[in-house]
Amino acid sequence: MPLLQSPSPMAPEPSRGASPRAWILVLALVLGLAVLALTVAGRLASEPAGAALLSLGAISAVVWLSGAPARRLAASVTVEAAPVVGLPAAALMEVAEGLPDPVMVISGYDPGDFAGRQVLFANLAARELFRIPAEAMLLTAVRNPEVLEVVDEALFAGIEGQTFYEAGGVQDRYWNVLAKPLAAGPEGHKRALLVLRDQTDARRNERMRADFLANASHELRTPLASLAGFIDTLRGHAKDDPKARDRFLEIMAAQAWRMARLIEDLMSLSRIELNEHIRPSDTVDLSVAVSDVVDALGPQAQGAGVAFDVHCAGPAAVTGDRDQIVQVAQNLIDNGVKYAGRGGRVRIQLICGLTAAEAVALHNPNGARLSLLTPDHADQLYAAIRVTDSGPGIKRDHLPRLTERFYRVEGQKSGERLGTGLGLAIVKHIMNRHHGGLAVESEEGAGATFVVYFPLTLAVANAAAS
Amino acid sequence: MEHTVKAYGEELKNLTADVVRLGGLAEAQVADSIVSFARRDLNLAQSVIERDDKLDSLEAEIERKAIRLIALRQPVAQDLRHTVAAMKFAMQLERCGDLAKNICKRSLILAEAEPLSPLTRSIERMGNLVTGRLKDVLDAYTSHNLDRAVAVWARDDEVDEHYNSLFRELLTYMMADPRTINSCAHLLFIAKNLERIGDHATNLAEIVYFEITGEELMSERPKGDALQRIL
Repeated sequence: MPLLQSPSPMAPEPSRGASPRAWILVLALVLGLAVLALTVAGRLASEPAGAALLSLGAISAVVWLSGAPARRLAASVTVEAAPVVGLPAAALMEVAEGLPDPVMVISGYDPGDFAGRQVLFANLAARELFRIPAEAMLLTAVRNPEVLEVVDEALFAGIEGQTFYEAGGVQDRYWNVLAKPLAAGPEGHKRALLVLRDQTDARRNERMRADFLANASHELRTPLASLAGFIDTLRGHAKDDPKARDRFLEIMAAQAWRMARLIEDLMSLSRIELNEHIRPSDTVDLSVAVSDVVDALGPQAQGAGVAFDVHCAGPAAVTGDRDQIVQVAQNLIDNGVKYAGRGGRVRIQLICGLTAAEAVALHNPNGARLSLLTPDHADQLYAAIRVTDSGPGIKRDHLPRLTERFYRVEGQKSGERLGTGLGLAIVKHIMNRHHGGLAVESEEGAGATFVVYFPLTLAVANAAAS
Repeated sequence: MEHTVKAYGEELKNLTADVVRLGGLAEAQVADSIVSFARRDLNLAQSVIERDDKLDSLEAEIERKAIRLIALRQPVAQDLRHTVAAMKFAMQLERCGDLAKNICKRSLILAEAEPLSPLTRSIERMGNLVTGRLKDVLDAYTSHNLDRAVAVWARDDEVDEHYNSLFRELLTYMMADPRTINSCAHLLFIAKNLERIGDHATNLAEIVYFEITGEELMSERPKGDALQRIL
């Protein structure tokens, strides 16, 4: 019999990652913990070795997890809460459960029996990461061969080991994995502790710096070369030609503006990418955000001779970052205005309470549709913004590459104002941060539609469903 | 379901564990093959090629266990579907491993030539998409989640679109500069291998559907006609 039973029937289900549910989870957690504490305390009290084992595990996890500033504190905890004197087992369970990093206790019996490797205990963070119940077969949680190897070494060879684990999916995270052997349980069951530490920030920072430098140096070279060329001309034979000078200065100003915009976009893309794995927590009404953007872009559209056609059924509350949502709407509508051209129209629709499949459903039977970003767990309701322009449309072959940085569709003019080629990349990364999606639908010669969809907050989704 | 013989249940569980392990190996092979290609990491490519034996022997073992289970325990209904699905699953995964190995062999050759950066990035993007699908379908298998399996199955067109776009891009490159033909030919095969891994992910989704429901997933799948226009 495993030492640590499943905590209690009231223990929270692994969350689907929706932050409005977080408070419900916390509530359930508090209830669950109370029951769990009683159950486990009773079970463990009769077996002192078990309590010691768990407390050792939990404390070593705390020490490993805490950074340098907290190390002294943790060390003092180790001394005071030495397993012999002991914090009550229930309190230790609470510590393990509440740790922000995933922690698991794994048992194994026979090195050849892979089905026999069990997760005896997984704290809330681990259950959320691996989407498992508190007790499960190890292989349903992890199948990465390197992680399985360090677990085996800790279990059967008693060797402490570390490795990296990449969770995969659109919300990519990197984890440092530590496996530590624990004292064996009854009937010779070997035990090991598995602790994961989030390394996403460090990895992203490293990669981002390299990407930024490469992109910036490559894309700034062209406008810079043209500026330098014009300066030479102005110094030389155009020196005394006021007409040419004015024209050149105008071109130079445009290039300088383009460089400024490029740097601004690159920096904003870097910022968004760095925070991409941190889900926003504010509540934003999409209809307000969209109509704000429509108002702000009105004069510009009028100047370009483009009419807006707005269908915004509000309110649509989503969990998000207001500035970023505004940026999404702005980039899409701005693109629409650019491609619609003089005398064209841009249609902006807000539709609430759709499933992911409905949000990306093809509206034009002759068109091609492609999903450019699909959320990992699309089992909830969404609010979608559709922006349709009456422009020339996009050829099917170009669709998969639209969100690539600096990708421009060949032979297409985006009006006098040249884009930076980063607008849709920014939209994609913002949508990924919001656990939303992005799709494009287009027929050559008959305009293009971009759809972004955000998961609705729980309350709104419930109202829409009923 | 209660089994009269406890060992029978254990055997079934063991079979699943082996399939999931093979899945983990295949997933890592595919992911590593893309990294070794994109970063020109020769050591990684070499180790992917060497690890392929592991996949082959695990597949053979799964087949042996499944046959043994069918012969000795004569499973019916859900258990039978489970056993047959394990065998079919293993076969598809082993094929994915072979394709990953082939990508690495080509990476070794490509590393000797000049890098073609924009094409490399396009292939890397397609590779990440395919890895994601493989991960999704394996998650669906371990968690018995029908919806996720169907979602993978329905999204096959994304990989095809990427492949067609890449195909065209490669043709343009080769026409513009015949010196790149050698490298581009290898890239074309790498793209094709990735596309086939994507197809295997779709097949895996069908197997998961069959295992859970006992029915075949046969309705119309959204399918692009872009390739027909190219050919």
